[in-house]
Amino acid sequence: MQIILNNVLPTPLASIQHGPQSIWGNHIELNSGKKIMLNASSGKGKSTFTTVTIGLRNDYDGTILYDDRDISTFSPEEWANIRQRKVSVVFQDLQLFPKLTVQENLLLKNSLTDTYSEMELIQQLEALEIDNKWKQHCGILSMGQQQRVAIVRALAQPYEWLIMDEPFSHLDKENTERCLNLIHQRTVDQGAGFVLTTLGEDHGYTFDQELKL
Amino acid sequence: MLNKLLFKNQDRKQLIIAMIGAFMGITFLITSIHYLIKVNEFGEGADILGPNTIMVQKKVSNSSSLNLTRTDFSLKELEKIKSEPFILDVKPVVSNNFDVSFETADPLVPRFRSDVFIQTVDPKFLDVKNPLWKWNKNDTVVPIIMPREFLVMLNTFMSASGIPQVSDDLAMDINFKFTLSNEDNSKKEWVDARIIGFTNEVSSILVPESFMAYGNDNFSDGTEQKITQVMISGKESEFGRVEELLEARGLESKNAQMVVGRLKSMVGTLFLVVLGISVIAVFVSGLVLIQYMQLLMTRNAYEVRTLLRIGYPPKEIIQKFFIYFVKIFGIIALMGIAIFFIFKYFLDEMFASGGLYIDTGITFGSIGTLIFAYIIFTFASYQTAKKGIFREY
Repeated sequence: MQIILNNVLPTPLASIQHGPQSIWGNHIELNSGKKIMLNASSGKGKSTFTTVTIGLRNDYDGTILYDDRDISTFSPEEWANIRQRKVSVVFQDLQLFPKLTVQENLLLKNSLTDTYSEMELIQQLEALEIDNKWKQHCGILSMGQQQRVAIVRALAQPYEWLIMDEPFSHLDKENTERCLNLIHQRTVDQGAGFVLTTLGEDHGYTFDQELKL
Repeated sequence: MLNKLLFKNQDRKQLIIAMIGAFMGITFLITSIHYLIKVNEFGEGADILGPNTIMVQKKVSNSSSLNLTRTDFSLKELEKIKSEPFILDVKPVVSNNFDVSFETADPLVPRFRSDVFIQTVDPKFLDVKNPLWKWNKNDTVVPIIMPREFLVMLNTFMSASGIPQVSDDLAMDINFKFTLSNEDNSKKEWVDARIIGFTNEVSSILVPESFMAYGNDNFSDGTEQKITQVMISGKESEFGRVEELLEARGLESKNAQMVVGRLKSMVGTLFLVVLGISVIAVFVSGLVLIQYMQLLMTRNAYEVRTLLRIGYPPKEIIQKFFIYFVKIFGIIALMGIAIFFIFKYFLDEMFASGGLYIDTGITFGSIGTLIFAYIIFTFASYQTAKKGIFREY
């Protein structure tokens, strides 16, 4: 699935001057299967990019197209289907359910598409060294552990694009590497692409494309 | 799991308070509707309910005795009374404009004869509903409705004469005879008559309108018939206003009719009050639950928003809230019915011990009202859930 941002300018960022390479106010194409880094300092609109691209907010000028279709025309049910099967997200604030256990958080997402068995989910947690947290409530985990749970949750669905908003901000280098390996493998297996927003750090990964804000 | 996420961490105390409120409202609704229907059925049979019908005439004063003021009604006056919003209908009571005598014509009954005056009124004003109360020129017997006071008077006469008294049924088997004549007695006709019912509404012998027209056409001296009495039917719960009208227009009615009118008006008003309270009770109880639903959705705003963001369809979340509250209301309705049956047992006993043998069967109206309330609540809860979910979308 190709995503096109056509002269998109979010209202809160309208007063800021954006350069010719910025994704704001220009024509940007996110082509299928690409691994893209969106690099910008704080306050430039990385989270805005995430929320605008997946239809959580519509306070912007311009158009965003999924395979030539304006996303502002999607119905709530269509968005549900897209978020279940085409675009997955790791939110900056993670959006986990703190009163549910890790198991429940993952199964709640996984049950929408039955992507993995429970054992496979545990194996993914194991790869990120948090399989021992399976029965623990997310609310009592550290931010780094919660980030890893959020990543596994985002992978527990079929997708064509994975959008991650500073997903490693609380992880050390080793854990970031483990996460990137898992994400890369899962994304490549599906022939999908991803967009990773960072504060300038490429985490030692070779991206196909770099975007700026 | 979705149920656990959305409903497990709610404030149980608030849910229980909301359920108690709704339960009380529902119980009150079923009980009050049931007894409203039962008392209504009981009241209809006993003529307690329904429109207030009274016969009125103008008060006779010294000036009217001296022919200075009129005691008859003009058509304009009748129209004026009829135009009042609390008046359902007004009809003149037509009297005979010829001489009539009434006598027994049965060998089994001693002879009794009296000059009488007869009247006719629209049958809809009468407490006697009998399809036989009609007459045409070829009929040999005139069906008549007697004032109950007449039977009492007849029995007093029988008793004083040492003759056995007669019951209602027996009186209806006795043959009577009318003698119709003109003023100078030059023209006479005898017509058989048979009682078909007794009324408390009117104090004269009532004949069908066609018979009165026949008598007036053939035996009157041609003078215009004056309307001195009218039947007024007022709205059940507004008898006070009818009374004010009578006072303002110098009209009077029988005291007993006025008392019955006031009682009927009061009963009618009480019915409206109870019905109003029942409707408010169920409205408030539904509102309490809907408000609790809104509160629950507000508390779960983060959960709902996140579910939508990770791909849960809005319909599925709406359905969760909807089904949850429909189930709760179902439990409340079942509890309400159970408590209603317990109340009903004691209230029926109480009525019976007071000599009021109200039918103890279940009223479909009360169950129907509950189903109606359930449907309304179902619709309201669906709309509330939909609105709440899309607010987070």
